[in-house]
Amino acid sequence: MKKTMAQRLKPYLFLMPMLVFAAGFVYYPFFKTFLYSFSRVNARGDILGFVGLQNFTYLFSRREFSAALGNTLRLAVINVPVTVALTMFLALLCTRKRGISAAAETMFALPMAIAMSAVALIFKVLLNPTVGYVNHLFGLTVGWYRDKNTALSGIILLTVWMGIGFNFLLFLSAFRGVPDQLIESARLDGAGGAAVFFFIRFPLITPTLLYVVCTNMVQALMTSGPVMILTQGGPSRSTTTLIYMMYTSGYGSSNYSLAACVVLVTFALTLVCTLLAFAAERKKVHYQ
Amino acid sequence: MKRRMVRLLTDALTLALGFVVVFPILYGLMGAFKSPAEFAAQPPTVLPRSFSYTDNFAFVLRTVPLLRYFFNSLTVAVLISTVRLLAALLAAYAFVYFEFPGRGLLFMLVLATMMLPGDTMTVTNYQTVSRLGLLNTYLGMSITSFVGASQMFMLRQNFKTMPTAIREAAILDGCGDLRYLFFILTPLSRPVLVTLFVQSFIGAWNTYLWPLMVTSHDEMRTVQVGITMLTSVEGTNYETVLAGVMLSLIPALFVFLFLRRGISKAMTAGSLVG
Amino acid sequence: MKKLSALFVILTLVFSLSAGVLAETPVTRIVFWHSMNEEAGVLLEKYVKDFNDTVGAQLGIEAEAVYQGSYAQATQKLNAILQAGNFAELPDVMQMDATGKVAYFTSGKAYTVDDLLRDKPDTDVSGLLGAAMGNWNYTGVQLGVPFATSTTVTYYNKTVLGEAAPETFADISAVTAPEGTVVYATVPNTTTLANWLGQLGSYVVNNKNGSEGSADELACIENGALETFLTEWKALYQSGALQNYAGSTDEFVAGKLLIMTSSSSKVTSLLASIGGSFELGVSVYPKVNADAAFGATVSGSCLVMFDTGKQEAAWALENYLTSADVQADFAVGTGYIPSNSGALETEAWKQLVAAQPAYNVGLEQLMATPADMRSVTVGPSADFYYAIQDCVSEMLDSDLTPEETVEMMEDELGGLLTQYAMANP
Repeated sequence: MKKTMAQRLKPYLFLMPMLVFAAGFVYYPFFKTFLYSFSRVNARGDILGFVGLQNFTYLFSRREFSAALGNTLRLAVINVPVTVALTMFLALLCTRKRGISAAAETMFALPMAIAMSAVALIFKVLLNPTVGYVNHLFGLTVGWYRDKNTALSGIILLTVWMGIGFNFLLFLSAFRGVPDQLIESARLDGAGGAAVFFFIRFPLITPTLLYVVCTNMVQALMTSGPVMILTQGGPSRSTTTLIYMMYTSGYGSSNYSLAACVVLVTFALTLVCTLLAFAAERKKVHYQ
Repeated sequence: MKRRMVRLLTDALTLALGFVVVFPILYGLMGAFKSPAEFAAQPPTVLPRSFSYTDNFAFVLRTVPLLRYFFNSLTVAVLISTVRLLAALLAAYAFVYFEFPGRGLLFMLVLATMMLPGDTMTVTNYQTVSRLGLLNTYLGMSITSFVGASQMFMLRQNFKTMPTAIREAAILDGCGDLRYLFFILTPLSRPVLVTLFVQSFIGAWNTYLWPLMVTSHDEMRTVQVGITMLTSVEGTNYETVLAGVMLSLIPALFVFLFLRRGISKAMTAGSLVG
Repeated sequence: MKKLSALFVILTLVFSLSAGVLAETPVTRIVFWHSMNEEAGVLLEKYVKDFNDTVGAQLGIEAEAVYQGSYAQATQKLNAILQAGNFAELPDVMQMDATGKVAYFTSGKAYTVDDLLRDKPDTDVSGLLGAAMGNWNYTGVQLGVPFATSTTVTYYNKTVLGEAAPETFADISAVTAPEGTVVYATVPNTTTLANWLGQLGSYVVNNKNGSEGSADELACIENGALETFLTEWKALYQSGALQNYAGSTDEFVAGKLLIMTSSSSKVTSLLASIGGSFELGVSVYPKVNADAAFGATVSGSCLVMFDTGKQEAAWALENYLTSADVQADFAVGTGYIPSNSGALETEAWKQLVAAQPAYNVGLEQLMATPADMRSVTVGPSADFYYAIQDCVSEMLDSDLTPEETVEMMEDELGGLLTQYAMANP
């Protein structure tokens, strides 16, 4: 049977919306970013000429870049394990269905319903060194967002809180998905709580774990919103992140080629993370 | 007996931790009822002197078009989630059920967009959207989020689990591909679709950077952008900001409290992971 | 779900159509971007409303005030529009601080006061305060008119420090802080560095701090001014009186910070929030050392117009907002220096100054500061600001010598300037 023209075109028509969006808003901007990073670009966004690696050399020589890179990595490296460990623990606490389940689950999932900008503004007050409650409660004299030694911790505290809701639900459904018989039979064989966790539950939820680690890692590398709202990268660049630097180099100082270089570095980092996660998946992750 | 004690203690610990997680929201709510003087007073407190001081809420409602912000956020979030899912449905269908030249390559091209996070494209996408004349429009606020590679991937996985016999029978009965997709496959994939929709919706509702970039008219701002306009980094009007924040949370909390059971059910059923 | 999406498509259409209908009324509508929040924001929105009800109603103009976040955020928005070349999105009037000067001037869409005077020679701007006007003159072109004028002053806690204000860094280091308080906490930025280097007879960047031409190098290295300042700054830090972070208004109000150098525009809100808990002192900007000259540069913001075809309406609004009465009222409500000399003759201002001399400190300082002390105008303004903070703060943190810090600043700040100059010849 010979396919008609329409039949041959059909798959492409089905794919068209997706491909158009991908081409227009992912590949084209990526290509343009690439182009910008090797060019001299003026404040009007016009390309003046090719400059080779000059923009990158300049980027790497800037103190702001090392600060942004360091902060972003610190954020990701602290935020992800803390979020994972915390939400996994909370999910374990809630796995067994009981009287308080509904209340507890609602409370732990709540951060999911709170927008970043809203919670950022609340944390701004909560962690305010003078009128905020946290310092008073714990008898601290920490400057939080105003002190360059603690500002990033304040941002991490916020991003961890924001990540609780969704990740908690993911882990909860994963733990609840572990068949009861497996656990019961292990218990009968004399396995204690820790053994049940490490040998049965944990291996079975590794797909979820991988997913959570991956998405949180990329999210952490993209952090910019809380920084814009709470600290504007300060004090003394202690909270500048890569995406925030992209934004300020571009729209603050009209250096669009520098912004493009920052984007490529960020992109390389996310790529490394994703590839590492895929490699880990091939080796260890258990699938049912 | 010992087991009961342990269970009781676990329950207590669970609820205590729950309280810690929820505390910032409660703190914000209490703070919204304080007067500026109460806020400045030392030592700081959680509870306001009374709940009768509502000037902060009145001030916010007077100065900020909060309802309009809600409407904008809702429109943008629904637009993003809907178009994204539609495009993903069509693409997933094509990849699963059609044989065509370039299928593997196109599949990789779509999947690879996952490695290029949207926030990194802000500067260039702004140029595009601006040149299309879409600044300060709902379409401009959402168009850059229409690509949903992970949604496409999930749907593809899901379609693959459907027995092909149904499709063959339907096509033999003269059912076209679009009809099959939207009237048979879509209802069958409801749990996944709900999950993906909710996920997209939450993501879109919470976005900050992009809507901030493309809106300069007050009446086009989303809630997330609008409430940050109540203050500045140096700002000290804590009580009004908290009042604005609390008001801004109402719709999301309302939806959350009523839909939470449904959402977690959908998440389990939708086999989002694994 | 399909019903829902259909509904939304319809709603979106309805909204876009209704927006189109609204735009077709005969009144000239102008958009005014501003960066005033809290008390000042409330006042500004009120003035715009008053304008619409009075002058605007007569002339058929309706102005819409849109808050665009801080000055820096508004400038970012402007830069984004300029970079994408989407001039239709430009406002008719914009409140802008020094960070926006270069972007505005090079936008190709600027409608400066010079343009206005050329088109409408009978326009009168002579009532505006000369010192404030000068701050918005860039390469000989008058970009805009001053609206929110301020200067950096010293706020201090009289109850703890006594009547006399600290006049020099040495005075500050002589203060012993009571338990639990900090004497002085700040990190120099573009404005404050311009003040202190200005006192030492130096500019931060060439072309008179970038006011007479685009700045492409630092002007404070060879004359040793930067090093002198850094040496004094480090000495102040080592005395224990200075803390290496930006002290906040809350701390000052709570009595935990004794001296704060900040914009003169905070008088009203400080008086209100301090209440009676201690006596507020307001004095002139501290001097680097006894040999330094007196003064501090003008800061604040101006109103600029864009070539949107509605300049006449835009000027009507600017003229109203910088009128003597509005400026006097604004000064009373905030602490900003009136930008219109006529405002100084109003009863409101006279009564204010008589009752609370603190309001006069900024104005007196502004008048006494030599005209040669200019604020800094550079292209990469945001990065320049943060680079200064970062470098000076790094000197104290890592115990660098002033010479090492000068070198670092030459690299960092100089790099920003040359990069910008290369890309924007």
